[in-house]
Amino acid sequence: MVISFKQIEEKLKTEAKRLLGESQVSIVLAYGKGYDENHPMPYVARNPSDVDNIVFNEYCNYNLARYLVRYPAGTKIAVAVKAADSRAVIQLIQEEKVKREDLVLLGIPVYGMKNPKTHEIIDGKTTGGLYNPVLYDILLGDEVHGQAIQSPYDVLAAYESMDKEARFAFWKKEFDKCIRCYACRKACPMCYCDPCFIDQTKPKWGDKSPQSHGNLMYHLTRFHHLAGRCIDCGECSRACPVDIPLYLFHKKVAKACEEMFGQAAGMSIEDKPALVNFRVDDSDKFLE
Amino acid sequence: MLKKTTIDKLPELAAALMEKGTLVAPIKEDAGFNFREITDAKQVDLIFHNTIISPKSAFFPQMEDFVRYQTGKSILEAAPVELNLKPTFLFGVRPCDVKSFQIMDIHFSGTGVVDPYWQKRREATTIFGFAFDMNEAADAAEFYHTLGIGAADPEGSDIFMVRKDDILMLKVITPKGEKLMAGLSFPTDASADEIKYFDDYIAKGHDYKTRYTCVDTEAIAREFESIFDNSDFWTKISDACLSCGVCTFVCPTCYCFDICDETLFSQGTRRRVWDACMFTDFTLEASGHNPRTKVYQRLRQKVCHKYSYHIRKYGVISCVGCGRCTRYCPVNIDIFSIVEEAVKAKWYKRL
Repeated sequence: MVISFKQIEEKLKTEAKRLLGESQVSIVLAYGKGYDENHPMPYVARNPSDVDNIVFNEYCNYNLARYLVRYPAGTKIAVAVKAADSRAVIQLIQEEKVKREDLVLLGIPVYGMKNPKTHEIIDGKTTGGLYNPVLYDILLGDEVHGQAIQSPYDVLAAYESMDKEARFAFWKKEFDKCIRCYACRKACPMCYCDPCFIDQTKPKWGDKSPQSHGNLMYHLTRFHHLAGRCIDCGECSRACPVDIPLYLFHKKVAKACEEMFGQAAGMSIEDKPALVNFRVDDSDKFLE
Repeated sequence: MLKKTTIDKLPELAAALMEKGTLVAPIKEDAGFNFREITDAKQVDLIFHNTIISPKSAFFPQMEDFVRYQTGKSILEAAPVELNLKPTFLFGVRPCDVKSFQIMDIHFSGTGVVDPYWQKRREATTIFGFAFDMNEAADAAEFYHTLGIGAADPEGSDIFMVRKDDILMLKVITPKGEKLMAGLSFPTDASADEIKYFDDYIAKGHDYKTRYTCVDTEAIAREFESIFDNSDFWTKISDACLSCGVCTFVCPTCYCFDICDETLFSQGTRRRVWDACMFTDFTLEASGHNPRTKVYQRLRQKVCHKYSYHIRKYGVISCVGCGRCTRYCPVNIDIFSIVEEAVKAKWYKRL
């Protein structure tokens, strides 16, 4: 089965036009033209005439769920979601940041998306090993079947083979590259805190300057704030201008969470976030 | 005076400069190239397009310590941090980035209030400009040609370099460069053919097209003033913006900083750290009021500062068209498309 990006784009345009035309939604979060074909942008269509600017190609990685919390509560929004993005929406619904009835999910079944910087296919690295959206109202194309499924945790093999010291050295080296532009937290659909802990001054949790200890404070805290919530879209790592492989830590924590609580983030609206929910049969493994 | 050496002798040139002082040059890192202080002469690598972080960090580092103190002790015991600079050689700077230093000079010394840290670093540094390789196509994000900067513009460099295959030609531009070159023994004199190639290359640099052409700074400033209150326009422009700091941190002409007191155990340092107008807390006042709470207000500030206020106040655009903000933007927001959108084909002609 081959993905037709053109066909998805046409269906996206048709549905966006219909939803805006019938006033079912006030905005459609989709993908639009950038300064060239390899660089599309997140795009907001507000009128049926805006729809012509919508595009979809293999570089449209952006997780549009990230923009949902920007609009006032109650805004009717249609949002284009790939597999990981739909999990972000579910997670946001679980966390009561958005309401299911305010959203129209335009599901995009797709694989073979590429990183615009490196042109490598991102399926194995991020997107949680899924090709079909977990939740959608309208599916823009046929469900993907028969495509080899890669476990989202396969890429952890090399990382997990490192011992404690090696892992610390690995992260120290990576975090020393950090310039504290905060693109990771800003690209993340789950990082909606206002203000973020690192921007707080009373109390002050971490330094603003890009030094080892401050960088460690920022990233480790962010990793743990996303425990059981990260839906593995990989946007943080792609947004990073200095290519810190943040997804490795997020995956590691997600794997631990899944093993302990038997629940992956953003898979069902009925779930509660693993770390918010207490169950009598919860794992006590971490105490042993 | 045109001198030459070969690319494979680059480590020798680097070593000679390291003997005389500090060498800051591009080196290859995981995500791309960056200017770093060189510790091993073999690290210097000139086969690059441009660096991720602009060379402004050579004069205006992301973190600059001012005062060290101990908590609980008297302020009289606090000690200012002295800059003990050795002669510094900033090697391999692209012409658009060299131009950015002149724009930054306006703020750090030109207004009469001189920033001693910037000034001392500028004085200690000899700049080796380096022409773009005109055999390769310009990066899709760049537009320095629009802003009147040639791909091989020696203006602002002390020594200017052009690479021709394996040969690296070096031309002295300023007395500072001449003094340095006189102390270097091994670059040899270039031949008459090479002198001609060098001069032709510099002339050709002005015809090397990046994305756009024709700019009327006055018209741009005026158009941005007229749409300042058009929140629909700015909302649309900033729909994709994540409000992160990538664009400002990689920019060669962004100069905003924050002064912070940072304490680790009882050791305190008062330092300046790069800040970004795209951050929510950039304009947060002590009262809790924030005049720029919306993403569009912040993006408007960034664009208008460079393409409107700066023109009105200092007569020049505060942008050199290096394309870094566009290239590293996580959502591909392109500053020149915004300018283009704002002035709607009144003055520009697409190539």
